[in-house]
Parts: sequence; C-alpha cells; structure tokens
Amino acid sequence: MPTTVQTCETLSERLSAVVLKRPTKLGWFTCLAISFTGVLMLNVAISWLLLRGVGVWGINEPVAWGFAIVNFVWWIGIGHAGTFISAILLLLHQHWRTSINRFTEAMTLFAVACAALFPLLHLGRPWVFYFLLPYPDTMRLWPQWRSPLVWDVFAVSTYFTVSLVYWYIGLVPDLATMRDRATRRWIKVLYGIGALGWRGSAKHWARYEMAYLLLAGLATPLVLSVHSVVSLDFAVAVLPGWHSTIFPPYFVAGAIFSGFAMVLTLLIPFRKIYKLEDVISERHLDLASKVMLATGLMVALGYASEHWMAWYSDEPNEEFLALNRMLGPYWPVWWTTMTCNILVPQLLWWRRIRTSPLPLFIISLLVNVGMWAERYMIVVVSLHRDFLPSSWGKFHGTVWDWATFGGTIGLFFTLMFLFVRLLPMIPIAELRKQTVEEGKEV
Amino acid sequence: MSDSLSPANSEGPLRDDDEFVPGASEWPEDLSRRRFLQVMAASLALAGGACTRLPHGEILPYIRQPELLIPGKPLYFATAMDFGGVGHGLLVRSNEGRPTKIEGNPDHPTSLGRSSVHAQAALLTLYDPARSHAAMKLGHPETWEGLLGELLPEIEKWKESAGAGVHLLTQRIASPTLLAQVHQFLTKFPKAQWHFHDAAFPRSPMPAKVRLEQAQVVLSLDAELFGYGGANVPNALAFAKGRRREENAARLYAVEVTPTFTGTMADHRRALSPSALVKFAQDLVVTLHDGSKSSDNWSAALLRDLQKHKGQCVVVAGEFQPPSVHEAARQINEALGNIGKTIDYLPGDDSLPRSGLQELVTAMQRGEVGALLIFGGNPAYDSPVDLSFGEALAKVPFSMHLGLYPNETAQVCRWHLPESHFLETWSDVRASDGSESIAQPLIEPLYPSKSAHEFVAVLLEQVPTTGYDIIRGAWEARHKMDNFENFWRKSVHDGVAALPKTPGPNTPEAATASAEKAAAESKSLELVIRPDAHVLDGRFAENAWLQELPKPLTQLTWENAALIAPQTARANHLEHGDVVELRYRDHAIRTPVWVLPGQAEGCITVHLGYGRNYAGPVGSGLGSNAFTLQTSDAPWGGPGVEVHKIGGGHRFSTTQSERSMEDRDPVRLVTAGKPAVEIAREDLPETTETLYPKWKYAGPAWGMVIDLSACIGCSACTIACQAENNIPVVGREQVLRRREMHWIRVDRYFDGDNNAPRLLHQPVPCMHCENAPCELVCPVGATVHDHEGLNVMVYNRCVGTRYCSNNCPYKVRRFNFLKFNDDHSETLKLMRNPNVSVRMRGVMEKCTYCLQRISAARIDAEKEKRKIRDGEVIPACAQACPADAIVFGDILDPASRVAAMKESPRNYSLLGELNTKPRTTYLARMQNPNPEIG
Repeated sequence: MPTTVQTCETLSERLSAVVLKRPTKLGWFTCLAISFTGVLMLNVAISWLLLRGVGVWGINEPVAWGFAIVNFVWWIGIGHAGTFISAILLLLHQHWRTSINRFTEAMTLFAVACAALFPLLHLGRPWVFYFLLPYPDTMRLWPQWRSPLVWDVFAVSTYFTVSLVYWYIGLVPDLATMRDRATRRWIKVLYGIGALGWRGSAKHWARYEMAYLLLAGLATPLVLSVHSVVSLDFAVAVLPGWHSTIFPPYFVAGAIFSGFAMVLTLLIPFRKIYKLEDVISERHLDLASKVMLATGLMVALGYASEHWMAWYSDEPNEEFLALNRMLGPYWPVWWTTMTCNILVPQLLWWRRIRTSPLPLFIISLLVNVGMWAERYMIVVVSLHRDFLPSSWGKFHGTVWDWATFGGTIGLFFTLMFLFVRLLPMIPIAELRKQTVEEGKEV
Repeated sequence: MSDSLSPANSEGPLRDDDEFVPGASEWPEDLSRRRFLQVMAASLALAGGACTRLPHGEILPYIRQPELLIPGKPLYFATAMDFGGVGHGLLVRSNEGRPTKIEGNPDHPTSLGRSSVHAQAALLTLYDPARSHAAMKLGHPETWEGLLGELLPEIEKWKESAGAGVHLLTQRIASPTLLAQVHQFLTKFPKAQWHFHDAAFPRSPMPAKVRLEQAQVVLSLDAELFGYGGANVPNALAFAKGRRREENAARLYAVEVTPTFTGTMADHRRALSPSALVKFAQDLVVTLHDGSKSSDNWSAALLRDLQKHKGQCVVVAGEFQPPSVHEAARQINEALGNIGKTIDYLPGDDSLPRSGLQELVTAMQRGEVGALLIFGGNPAYDSPVDLSFGEALAKVPFSMHLGLYPNETAQVCRWHLPESHFLETWSDVRASDGSESIAQPLIEPLYPSKSAHEFVAVLLEQVPTTGYDIIRGAWEARHKMDNFENFWRKSVHDGVAALPKTPGPNTPEAATASAEKAAAESKSLELVIRPDAHVLDGRFAENAWLQELPKPLTQLTWENAALIAPQTARANHLEHGDVVELRYRDHAIRTPVWVLPGQAEGCITVHLGYGRNYAGPVGSGLGSNAFTLQTSDAPWGGPGVEVHKIGGGHRFSTTQSERSMEDRDPVRLVTAGKPAVEIAREDLPETTETLYPKWKYAGPAWGMVIDLSACIGCSACTIACQAENNIPVVGREQVLRRREMHWIRVDRYFDGDNNAPRLLHQPVPCMHCENAPCELVCPVGATVHDHEGLNVMVYNRCVGTRYCSNNCPYKVRRFNFLKFNDDHSETLKLMRNPNVSVRMRGVMEKCTYCLQRISAARIDAEKEKRKIRDGEVIPACAQACPADAIVFGDILDPASRVAAMKESPRNYSLLGELNTKPRTTYLARMQNPNPEIG
C-alpha cells in the first residue's frame, strides 16, 4: 500500500472529509436500510413479547433461560474489546491503538446497549424491573444482595456509563474539529453543541488529557469486573456446568476473544470501504489477531480445565455433563464451539494469515459464531439435563427468539452505520498528536 | 407572584414527626386567585385524566345470616358421587355457597377420607363452561316448556301402547332410588325395555370383593387393584398396611398385559399378552390340581408361595379378562381355601338388565323402537363400531338424551336435555360394600338442568318433581322408622346412612361362566383395548384437569397412543413416535406408537376415550378413536391386528421424556426385613457445612415424608393440588413446550432390563430446603424462608428472572410463561379457592405445603391458645392420597407422625449430597421379593 506522509492538516482534512465532504452513497443507504429493517423486526418482536409474555420464546421448565441470556453474555463480551483497546492499551502505551480506539469504543457502547436490552426483556414482568434497584420505597424492600443478578445490574450499568463518558470525552476535540471544518451553519451548530465549547487551549488539553487518563484508569478494572460478575450469574448456581470457580477469568478471556473477533469483523470491511488502509494498517490486523490468538488459547485452557475437572472430581453429575455436551442431543453446539474457538484460531500462528484481510475476516466471523455457541452450550446445554432425569427436557429457539436476536444485530449495525456517517470514526486529534510526536507516518 | 403553597408564614419550624404543623389548616394569605385557579384546574385535569371508572354493584348484608355461615370461613358438607355404579362418599368444601374442593368422606367405607383423580376432577366438570346450558331440539336451543309440549303427548301414546317400543338406555347406576324409579317406569309401561351399556365399567364376568388386608400373598391376573375401580382406596390402604408390616410383609405378584399400578407395586411382575395370560392362568390351575411340575421356575415358585399361604392368599382376575381367567382364579382360590377369607364372590350385577346395546341396536334397525331415552353416557361414540349405533338411532322417531355435555349422542338425538351435576342435585348412592349415602347438593343448578331422578319423575307424571322430595320420599318409603326426621338428618350430615349392610353371599355368578377351551397362545399380533386411566371411555374428555394429568407410566397428556413393547417394536420395525395405521377386522385407525418397556410382547394396547368430535373446546379432536377398532364380540381386542407404518416423528405431549434413572437413583429400594437402603449413592456423602448461619425455629417446623412403599403412583395428589391451589391448565401446545404447571408431579422410572423393567414412581413436590438454592439467587427476595421453615413465594414481588428455577435441583418451580389463568369464564371464577392468589403472567410459583391450610390451623390454635395439633394441617396432596403415602407435620415435635417417620431407617433425602437439607424426605420403597425367584 502506498504510504503518504501525513501532516496534521492532511489528517484533519482526510478524516473529517469522511463525514463532512464524502457524498452519502447508495451503498450506505442500502446497508442502513437493511440494518434498520432489523430494528423494525426488533420492535415487532419486543411488542409481541410485551403483549403475550416471555412464553413467546422457547424457554421452558428445565431450560428457563435461553436466547436472552445467551445473547446478553455474547453482546456484553463483544463490548469488552473496545474498552480493552481504548483503556488498557492506552495505559500500556500501545500507540497503535489510536487508529482504532474510537471505532471500537463505539462498538462497545452499541454492544452494551444491545446487551442491556436482554436482561430487561427476559423478565417475566419487565415493568417492575426497578425492583432490582436499591431505591427507598414505602415497603422498605431492598434487593436481595446475595443474588448475582443484583451485582449484574450494578456491573452492567456502571460499565455502560463509564464507556459512554469515556467515549464522549475522547470525542470532544474531534467534535470541535468537525465544527470548525463544517461549512453549513446547522451542522456547525450541532457539532458545536457536542464540542462543549472546546477551543483547543493548553488548559483544555491539559485537563482533557488528565480526564482521559483517569477514565482509562477507571475503565480498566471494569474490563475485568463486568464479565467476572456476569460469569457469577452462573458460577453461584448449584447446576453442573455452571457451578465452577474457573468462570470469572474464563469469561473475561472469552469476552476479549470475542470482542477482538467483532473488531476485526467490523474493521476489515470498513477500512476497505472508506479506504483507510493506511491508517488502519496491516499492523493493526496483525496485532489484533495476536490478541485473539492469546485469548483464544486462554479460552481453550478454560474448556480443557472444565473437562479435566469433570474427570478429576469424580462427580457423576459433572462427568455426565461433560459427556452430554459432547455426545448428547446438543452435540453440534459443543463441536461448533470447539472448532470455531480452538481449532480455527490456530491458523493465526501464521503471519501470512494475520495480515490477510479476507481469511482474517472469515476467522473472525467463525469466532463470533463459536462464542455464541459457547454461551448456548453453557446456558442451554447445562440446563436441559440437570440432576433428576425426570425433569430433563429440550429447548429450541422460536421465531421470536431469532427475531429478537437478529433485531439486536440490526440495531447494532444501524447505530454503527449512523456512527461512521455522523462522527469521525478515527480519532483525529489523537492521530495528529501522534504524527507530531513521532514525526512520521502513522 | 408568590407561588408558595406552603404555610410560609406559619409559626415555628416544620418538624418531620408532626403531621399537623401549626397553621397547616389556615388559608395561606399569599395564595393568589390566579394561582388557586391554576391549581384547581390542574387537579381537575388530573382527576379527569385518570379515567377511572368505579365498578357498579351493590353490597348487601345478610338480613338473616344463614346458619353457620361466616363470610371467609368455609363449610364442609357430606355428599356422594356415583362413579361407575359405585358410590363414593365425599366431603365438599363450600366457600360462601360455592363448592371449591372435593375430599373423601372419612366415615365412608369406600373413600375413607381419601379420594381419587376422578373425585377431585369432578369439581372442574361442575364449573366447566362447556357444559350443556339449555335443552336442544335437533341442535337448536329449546325451553323446558317446549320439551314438555312434545314429551307429554308422547307419554300419552306410551300409556296407550303400554310402553311398546319405548326403550331406556342407562349406564351403571349407583342410586337405589333411581333404580327403583326405573323399575317403576318398567312397571308403569310393562312393554318398555331397559338396556345397559357402560364402556368403562362393563358387566363383570365374576364380581368379587377382595380383602387385601387379609392377604399375605396376592396374585393379580391383570387386575387393576389400585386403578379407577370402586375399591382403589381400601385396596391401596390395605396394601400399604401390609407392606409396612415389620414381620411378614405382604407380597404381590402381577401378571399383566399393559403396565398398571398393580404392576408397579408388584414384587414380581410378568408381562404376558392376553392369550398367553389365559394360558398362564389355566396352566396354573392344572399344575395346582395335578401337582405336576411347572414348566418354569417363576410359576413354580409362585405356586409354592400360594400353597404356603392357604387361606391367606388371593388370586384376583382383572375386569377386562375373559371369563376363563376369572374361572381359573376362582378355582385356585377355592383350592387354597381363600373364598370367604380373602375374597368374596358377589351375586353379580343383578341390578342391571341383561339386555345390552346389541339388542337395542337390533330393535332400532328393525324399526321397533319408537322412543329411546338415553340416561347419560355417549353410545353414539363409545359403542363398538360394528353396531353402527348412530345409523340405527336415525331410525328412532323420538330420541332423547340426558347428559352433562352436548356430546356425540346429543348431536344425533332429537332431544338433548342438560343433566344436573351431582353437586347440584339430590341423589343417593350405594357403595361397593352395600352402605348407602345421601348425596346432597352444594349449589343450585348453574343452568336449567334436571337430574335423572327429576326427569324420570316427569316421565312417570309424578308429583313431587324436585330432587329433594323424590329422594326423601323414596327413603321414607324404603326405611320405615319412628324417627325418620332424625335418621334423615343424620344420614345427610354424616354422608353415610346408619343402616345395616347386606353382605353378599359367596356364590359366584360365574359358576355358569363357560370355562373356555384351553386357549392357544396367539402367534399373531394381538390388539388390547382398555379404557384410558383418566378420561376412561371418553366420559371425562371435557375435563381439562384430567386431560393434562400425565397418564401412568407414559406421562402422556392430551392424547392416546399405541403402546408396544420394545422387542415387538423392533420386530415390526417401529420406533417411538412413528405414526401407524392399526388395522383390525376391516377397521383402521391412525395413531402414534409409544414404545413402552413393561408392555407384554406380541400385543399392542390402545386406550379409549380419544378421537372425540363433540367434546367441547377441551376434548375435541385429540388423539385417535379406539372405539373404531372395538367390535361387540371382542370389546377388549383380540389377535390379528395389523400394523402399517405411515409416518414418523410424532411429538408426544409428555411431561417426562426420560425413562431411566441414569444411575442417579432418585428412587431407592430396600428389601423387607433388611432395613438398610439398598440403592444408595455412597459415593456422594451428605455434607453439612454452610457459610450461612443456621435457621432457628421457635414454633413448628413443617416437614413431609413420602412413603414410596405406599405410593401407587395414581396422581390424585397432583390433581388435588391443582384444585386446592388454583393451578391453571396450559393445554397440549404448552405441554409440548414443557410448561405444565403442576406443583406436585409423579415421576416414573423404568429400572433395570428394558425388556423386563422394574417400574418405579415418585411424587415430587417442593422440598422446602433448609439451605434453599432458590432463595439465594432471587435478586428481589421474592422467594424467602419463613419462620416455620417454609420456602415461600411472594408473587407480587416476583419479577420473573426464573433464576430460582434454574438453581432448583428438583425443578419443582413452575413459571407463568404466558397468561395461563382463565379469568374470563364466569363459572371458573366461582371454582377458585379464595384463600390462594391467582397468579398472573410472568411470576414463578410452586408448592407451598398448602400455606393457606397452615394459616387457618394457626389462627384456630391461637384463638384457643394452644399449639397446632399433629394432623391438624393436612396439605391437599396428603389428604387426597388414597394410600396414605404422604405425611405432613411438625418435624420438631417428637410426638408427631412425620417426625417418627423421619426416624425410619428407610428415610432418605432426594439429592441430599447437595446439602440442600430438604424438608420433604422419602421412605425408600420396600420390596419383598420371593427368595426363590431372587
């Protein structure tokens, strides 16, 4: 790829032009329309759900949690990569993150938004969701603090808030750039409101840097805590397949693994379409793949230790569970999980593959599928055969299960398309700074 | 403008604790006119915007309080039910004049305070919105006057002809008064004819009364000792007693075709096809008489066991067995001196006419029937196919059907008349031991209906015509005594008349029963037709509780299937869920195949009662109609059925798909005389450590013990719980999705060899764990531990995360996935127990140990300043249980029955290794195998 020398001016020009000057193409409209169809489908699915009850889904007596929880864990896991890239890599001075952090933060935000829908919708009586919040009420009732679902409320809401603030703070200087570069009055006003009166003074910059760093520090433990808490939803239970102390680290690794997969799934087409191959270079793909490979191996270790413990513990229920996952009625789920999450990522040992967009894209898609299957395995396959054979059953997603899941994918992409069209997806200010500091091309 | 509405210029500071601060009542001076109008306008807008409409209605106090009626306090009335011609004494709870729960009458000899699935389900039939609401003429509603306008001239015609061409058709009749009325009718119209047809309770080849409590060794030849017959309660209680004896526990051998409750309770069970069973019985007689050696060990050991217990053993033949089997059983009983000791042979059903459906249909086809009066029943559906009852009926100019439902027969009759439910009308019944009861109504008829008594009185042109007058008049005429009023009152109150019983002589009717030629074992596939355990011959198909109650051993709901043994299925290349066409004597039905371990080889069982077309919104169009295969000469099937596979993949609406215990042994066994638990999970020791402090109880700590030796698996507990706790039915579609709502379920397992399995069952209610996994994970504290150790649900706090259910190792929690409760049908509102919340969609529910009954007892005890007595609180399941298998009480009271049972060496906790410390525990099932068989 030909590399051109970037200056502050060219960077600002190029990156703001993506939003301000580039004509809105039919392709973008088509993509938005398709995604928005998903949003409409989600609306229908949610309306039907609220009208009839959670029974429109396939959940039943042994399997009382189904798609909703699978999707919740999947989406929230995806979110993790954004926070990991923008916060942890910032603290670790990984400058390559700059090109992609805005994009991945947006991804986090939208994924968490999709995720947060599910715990609400899966309630039997969603209109009293606030019973889970600690608020002063006349009956002096309080949430039941021993339940991990209460911890979940705090973990997820904190995560969403911090992600939103962090993302927005990072956006402020760029919104100012957009304001300055926009030509039409009303666009100037809109970006101007968002820029909160940013003038680029030294004082602004100093405070901005400090706030950004502090938020990065705040967000870092969240990467670890959120999915640890989510994993406790399962680990606290007595159910074989859930009752396991390995869950927190195993879930965090899985979250980052799936998050990076989603980052690649999104970045590879976007950099191609918006011709940002020089800003989001092969080096980024290479590094993201390495993170995926590493976390993928951690996940593999998690699977291995689960099965090893099933054998080592000599606990018949655990042993049965391990075999049931492999050979029971849901055997394709286990094999999909193992293939997509362990076997396929081994291709990333080769540098050729790590830097080739197409194979990488396919691998990232497979990992997304694999991680969804993993959550299906944990939630559904553990539940469907527990202690007493008399209560064993099966679960199949209904059309409404799939519509809700597909609908959140539509929502996610709608937000993503609006984001790339309306906001600078590459942090202009940070790239400028980096260019000045390094004095060379990105 | 000052816009303060607060008393800003009032004296003194505002204090939190003072509701009426000084000056609060004074008009604030600085409230402007404009502001006042603003506030008033806003208030009006808010008041109007709320759009609330107060319900219209008048609340009137009693001017004269009915005797004993205290609003909120239920009353109990004794009454009785005619079930298959046998009276069952009942005690019915009435809340403000609405019958809300049926229990057995403890003073009655056949119910002994206990009940059956059918007695429990009768409540729903009473309130069923699909019952007949009005008389119908050719399918159009008519008035009672309209009916009389046609009936009275008809009766005049009968008088002229002395009843020639008038035919009555009845089922079994338990009411002595109705029998007398029928005889009056036949006296008045001497040429009239009476026919009997009852598809579920046919004429018995050799009626007998078994005294199980006297028997040490029992051999059942396909007898349903604990099934839906007339004596299931006394039999179950007697058997449980015999089982629990420390010394000389009773032993049960069962030879049967399709697994029954008898087979599940047996120590030794053998499955034989019908023809093989006949041969087995006849061989047994031969070996017994000539002392020759039996061909196989099993029979030889059985015979030795029987001979060892002369006069203390009994051989019982099943109702659906041919006379030859009954004769064989009688001969063995005679040879072993059992008659008069363990079994009494009764004089036969001489109260019933000999003439059956066959004679009636012949007469109808000849055009000899001018008028046909059908009392109950549904012959247009439940008659053998070769009779073509419906076609023959079309030739009858005046046909009339009296019934609860506008069923198939009502459709083809000229007239249909709604019949009163037994809880709406006066009647009387005779029990199997001859004792008589008066059945009093609990409620005025919900619809303009007539009882059979009232209808016959009309036919006889008698006055009086009210049920009360008829019954009382008949009793007064029958029982002449000085103080009849006292006798009547006492009989009505007690539910059993204080009359001397008339014991039957020991002369079997079937001394004439033709001993058939020694049957040859059939080589071809045999068809076995049996009434369904719950809907019987279809008479309960409209009852949703019975439809949704899992059937014994298959756990199938809402449909029937062709039951076939695994080996036979393999031999015929059939799999579970295949749809087949069964072809038998030129008739065929399509039905799915259910591969059932324990079914006899070489035969296929289909149950009656399905495939109905006019069974209301509940029972129509379910399953397939086995009456299509029934012929009048072979009502219970015969050899030569053909099976053709026509499809596969039928999805059964079953509540339990697994057969095996998967080495987890939820049901444990002990051998009589050896108290140690035989099947125990020694690999998983029970732990007691917990991080949380232990619960402390000042008052009672409720607990339950379920004795698996006594439990016959009949599911009366399930349906009693459903009635008591307002549990909705969910329908076939939702059962397919495994969303049934029963709070107590009866699990069944097939243990051991699939070809000759041991059949086990286990009722599972909430365990009310001391360390309850559900309580820990509820985020809102909607399921909590109460001060007596109950694990209670707070429905209004539940948000429906369902985490509790996921974490319940017993999976006894039930979730309202949709709005399952019908709150539109007015009659169903009357049925509900007012002391139990009706749950809305989206909340979890489960067994409460009948909390409302505990509360009632606690209130009584507190009023009398005493402790709750042992046995004062009986949950619905324990009360209904015909075998007394469920015992409930205070486990901290060492004198309580439940505490004593928990001391038994047979006591064990289900999944105790999880340290849940369940309050519900089980007594391992006692087996008493013959050591010679092993």
